[in-house]
Amino acid sequence: MTLLHRPDPFVLGLLMGAVVIAAFAILNERVGVVGGFADFVERVTGRRSALGWKGWFVVGVVGGGLLFRLLAGAPTFRHGFGWLTRNLDGGLVAVVLVLAGVAIGYGAKLAGGCTSGNGLGGCASGSRASLTATGTFMATAIAVSFAIKALI
Amino acid sequence: MTRVRIASVLLGAGFGFLLSWGQFIDPDRIRDMLLLRDAYMWEMFATAVAVAFVALRLLKRAGARSLLTGQPVSWSTARPERRHVVGAAIFGAGWAVSDVCPGPVAAQIGQGIAWSIPLLAGVALGILLRLRRDEAPSRAGAAPRIATPPGPALPASNPD
Repeated sequence: MTLLHRPDPFVLGLLMGAVVIAAFAILNERVGVVGGFADFVERVTGRRSALGWKGWFVVGVVGGGLLFRLLAGAPTFRHGFGWLTRNLDGGLVAVVLVLAGVAIGYGAKLAGGCTSGNGLGGCASGSRASLTATGTFMATAIAVSFAIKALI
Repeated sequence: MTRVRIASVLLGAGFGFLLSWGQFIDPDRIRDMLLLRDAYMWEMFATAVAVAFVALRLLKRAGARSLLTGQPVSWSTARPERRHVVGAAIFGAGWAVSDVCPGPVAAQIGQGIAWSIPLLAGVALGILLRLRRDEAPSRAGAAPRIATPPGPALPASNPD
């Protein structure tokens, strides 16, 4: 098994779960990435005076991607950016990605978390709000994906 | 505070590494999962939540304290509100169009994938729009904006 092949999903799930557990065992906090991005936005716009732990967590996620790239010797994927670059021109891809990003940032902030904050940390905590949000974003993402497939 | 920062960076590094190893940063992989052509993400996700769900309760029952804060391992939970459904639906639509969610965006940046830059810009803009909307009612009261000190950005009931 090399880093360029996915590990068994149950092994990876165990390791992901370990990160969620470690965040509680070390910091008594739930993992969350949108909260980390929000830390940066708040810091840059003067809404907070220093990064919170989630901001530093996001710094680590960036570093984890870099570490993987260095150890694997190649990026996780090499060409394009999924269905977008296969079907749209470059300039339009960038515009669509910005708009999709706005939906991701706005929606996750409103919902109190993304796939990690609500999906992993919130569901593991048994939060009904997180379970509701997770069911909603997964159902929406599946429906929109099938709609895109039907259109392209 | 330095120890908290170091621990946060290390936890994040582990998370980013695993996201990369599981290929969750590859839009085509996510698309296959959302089109129900690949069970990998669902199996991984269910395993992670189940393992953490059980382990957290064992930690709580054992009265474990967190290593750096010394607080008993604990959490609060929130009741579902309209914003959880509306926000998640908006987020889910953006996820399906880009086939990337926030964690993988950060890992993509680390791997030097250029297309993650416009996506990251959009995420930041979306968060800023939400922050401004949250602040809008308080502006009527002319409350001054004061930079908050470092610490938890949100209550524990709001995982973010």
